[in-house]
Amino acid sequence: MKQLATLTGKETRALFASPIAYAVIAVFLALMGYTFTLTLFISKQATLVHIIFQSAALLILIVPIITMRQFSEERRSGTLELLLTSPVREIDIVVSKFLACMAVVATMIGMTLSYAVVLGVFGSPDWGPVYSGYLGLILFGACLVSIGLTISALTSNQIVAAVVSLGVFGLLWSIDTLASLLPGALENWFLGLSLLAHVTPFATGAMYTSDFGFFLTTTLLGLFFAVRALARR
Amino acid sequence: MSPVVVTQALTKRYGPRLAVDSVTFDVRPGEVVGLLGPNGSGKSTILRILTGYLQPTSGSAQVGGFDVVTHGLEARRRVGYVPEDVPLYTQMRVTEFLMFMGRLRGLDGAALARAIDSACDRLALGPVRELLIAKLSRGYRQRVAIAQAVLHSPPLLVLDEPTNGLDPRQIIELRGLIRTLAESCAVLVTSHILAEIERVAHRAAILLDGRLLTIHTLASSGIQQWLRVRVRSNDAQAAGDAIRRAQGVQAAQQEATSNDVSTWRVQVLDPHGTEHVAASLCNAGMGVVEITEAASDLEALFLQLTSGQTQGLAA
Repeated sequence: MKQLATLTGKETRALFASPIAYAVIAVFLALMGYTFTLTLFISKQATLVHIIFQSAALLILIVPIITMRQFSEERRSGTLELLLTSPVREIDIVVSKFLACMAVVATMIGMTLSYAVVLGVFGSPDWGPVYSGYLGLILFGACLVSIGLTISALTSNQIVAAVVSLGVFGLLWSIDTLASLLPGALENWFLGLSLLAHVTPFATGAMYTSDFGFFLTTTLLGLFFAVRALARR
Repeated sequence: MSPVVVTQALTKRYGPRLAVDSVTFDVRPGEVVGLLGPNGSGKSTILRILTGYLQPTSGSAQVGGFDVVTHGLEARRRVGYVPEDVPLYTQMRVTEFLMFMGRLRGLDGAALARAIDSACDRLALGPVRELLIAKLSRGYRQRVAIAQAVLHSPPLLVLDEPTNGLDPRQIIELRGLIRTLAESCAVLVTSHILAEIERVAHRAAILLDGRLLTIHTLASSGIQQWLRVRVRSNDAQAAGDAIRRAQGVQAAQQEATSNDVSTWRVQVLDPHGTEHVAASLCNAGMGVVEITEAASDLEALFLQLTSGQTQGLAA
């Protein structure tokens, strides 16, 4: 446990010491602020549904930038050899990187809570969809981070890791469109993989066990495969 | 005392390529063992298996009595490892990096602070402790890498090509350092430079194409040197006696005689052996035509064992 804390501290400091985290957070907040202002003045409704959807869409673009260097850079620079020959378990290394990436994602999402505060002060929003929306975003972010880490663990090239992650996220986001072209059983199966289909209920205030299960399972599977990718040497 | 490292028929394949072929050897406490061989002979692969980075295809390896596969964590706790390219977190400061690596090895609090102080003292890192690793020279980076490896006082220190990229002064300093470190732990060191192994190791394991050809016991580590001495004297016997009388001379063999010049192969165990031999010959009233460094036992053995490959390359 001490080693996990040591590794997590090091990974978090490394992420927040690099300009990447600040650039990503700044761009994310600028775009979200623009969307919030625009939708508020156009719709004149105290709701964050648009914010939740746009956050999810932006996470698909941003998470690959956060996860791409996690293992790729360590592998390229050789420091992965230092870590893996130290008396630490692969799972500790993977979980520490997962927690550090989630710290950036949570900071980013957490800062948009200021919009909820503004709505609360100047209007009377329905808080249910706000709570469920943010919970959904965190689960969605965790799912993306774990998949991104697995891809990063498979290559020593950051750009390859980012591009492949982006491709996988984009495919999983929009796979429901493909599903609609397929026959019954396959349609359901593909719909079950759709990130959009699982985020939508959270954004609109509906929480289903199946959506929880999907994100938790995908996150755990992602972490498991990242550990296996590290062990494959 | 039981060996720190024991390997039994250790084998590693990368796909169809056999990188390590049934290698069996051991390393005893306090011993410096050199793995010697040309590039691609399997030296680094053996080290990576012993340090838990790679898994063997077959055979077994134990460090401190723990199998590196089945008890990997326990085995890794007993190893300090400096990989070939000296990978470090360059965005960290030296102390910060040592604290991080120490904590990964279970050190904490006062024990960690003491270990860092001790490692910095032994490796003369005092002046750079608070500097960013990115700002350090190659020599200092090498020292930082060794410092992290000895923080937890492991019974086995593994150094992969430690002299790569160092300047001559740094190489000499590193040799002295390895000898000092060997007083408290066993050292397994690889190099493709014969002289380096000869100067620091007690035994040299010669590898070729993944096979262990032989393990050669070196006469004395650190200060052994072979000289070729050409002496102008009418009495070759007297010349031999004069050479043998010189301080630090272990053995002298006559190789050839041409007119009044005799050629001798001399083993010296003194860093100033050349000067002592020259002085002894001058004192005996003989002319020193030439003193050059000669091929050592190990070099001759290495050339003999690897001659097949050398011929193959020449062809």
